[in-house]
Amino acid sequence: MATAVNRAFWSDPDLSKFNPLSRIIAFDQFSKGFRGYTALVGNYEHTLDNVLPGFRDMSQPMLSNGTHWDTGSHGGHDGTYSLKIASRPRPRSVNMALKRFTFRKACPIQIETYFALKPEATDLTLSASDAGAFGLVLDLQDNERRIMPHIRYLNALNGERIEKWQFKRTLEPAKDVGGDQSLGETRSHHHFGADGWEDIPGGSQQLCYNEVPTKYNWHYFKMGFDLRTMSFTSLQCNDRIFDVSSLEPMRMPAWPNLNCLFNVCWTVEADSHKRSFLYLDSVLVSGDWEDA
Amino acid sequence: MRESITAVVARGDTWSGVVASEPYDVAWASEAVVFLRSLGAEGHPEQARAWIQISPDGMRWIDEGSMLPIPRVDEIASVRLSNFGTYLRVMTVLPEGSSFKALLTLSLKE
Repeated sequence: MATAVNRAFWSDPDLSKFNPLSRIIAFDQFSKGFRGYTALVGNYEHTLDNVLPGFRDMSQPMLSNGTHWDTGSHGGHDGTYSLKIASRPRPRSVNMALKRFTFRKACPIQIETYFALKPEATDLTLSASDAGAFGLVLDLQDNERRIMPHIRYLNALNGERIEKWQFKRTLEPAKDVGGDQSLGETRSHHHFGADGWEDIPGGSQQLCYNEVPTKYNWHYFKMGFDLRTMSFTSLQCNDRIFDVSSLEPMRMPAWPNLNCLFNVCWTVEADSHKRSFLYLDSVLVSGDWEDA
Repeated sequence: MRESITAVVARGDTWSGVVASEPYDVAWASEAVVFLRSLGAEGHPEQARAWIQISPDGMRWIDEGSMLPIPRVDEIASVRLSNFGTYLRVMTVLPEGSSFKALLTLSLKE
């Protein structure tokens, strides 16, 4: 797989900390705005009451300067603002922000980010087991299949620090969301939930929590996926590179009206009655293709 | 070009009793219009008022001074804001036996 041929970006302080494939699809620095990242509304017809329960906690991401009660504003990696995704203050509440693409050609793709995961600083304690998890989900469809690679970092479960990477291939059953007046084409499956995750071999990793909930250190994350074979190609967080040979995405037959779907979805999940926050300083999506 | 976003902060959440919206980071914005719509109600929530709160840390809140009515079903209420600092939310206290499904929307501009 070719990395970027034009190495001029090595002298660019914004780009040189990334390792993109040959073509950059999107380079989103959130100090420049929301850049097309938005909320997910669970599928429904006729009334919001038909949205599946797991989607009801989801709301718009924020641009945050990371302001805390004890220090003031924290800022981002490169600028003042980062994209903040906040859970509700209850265990296993999940929120998500996504950007919606389609792909021009089935090819290797790669997602990179600088991120921080922290709990709400409501207690003057370590609070390291309050942030539940964060993750990256891709939502993809070619002519035959809908494919959903799921990766999460499970920080804590039921108050216990777990600190390991997981993937999910187990399908969540799709449900009709039209009620009594269903038109039959709109379905929904809450695949972001806490069930069905499997450990990634060798996937234990302690992140840099840094002692109090109001300090966050930026981490590097990279995931690669090949749209030709619909399989994982890489997974990295800071100094750890994981073996992805045994990882599988969710696979299902193609759904209606989703051809060439390519959604990049970032999730955050609470483990306690405190909000969990995922901060993304910047996200770089790249691919390796020729049009000819 | 000025940054802007319209954020739906509560999407059909059932509000009853003492309730506040989720905190929203607004440090980058200089102006906001808050819209509150009712998608359904029980009792008489329109007898209550909602009000704006601000916060230095997203955890401890103080009244900003602006209020807006709780709308009747399918109606909408709004209030314009500026000079609100870093965090915004909307709070209300509804009469016993009254509730409504809130669609709370913040239109923010740099």
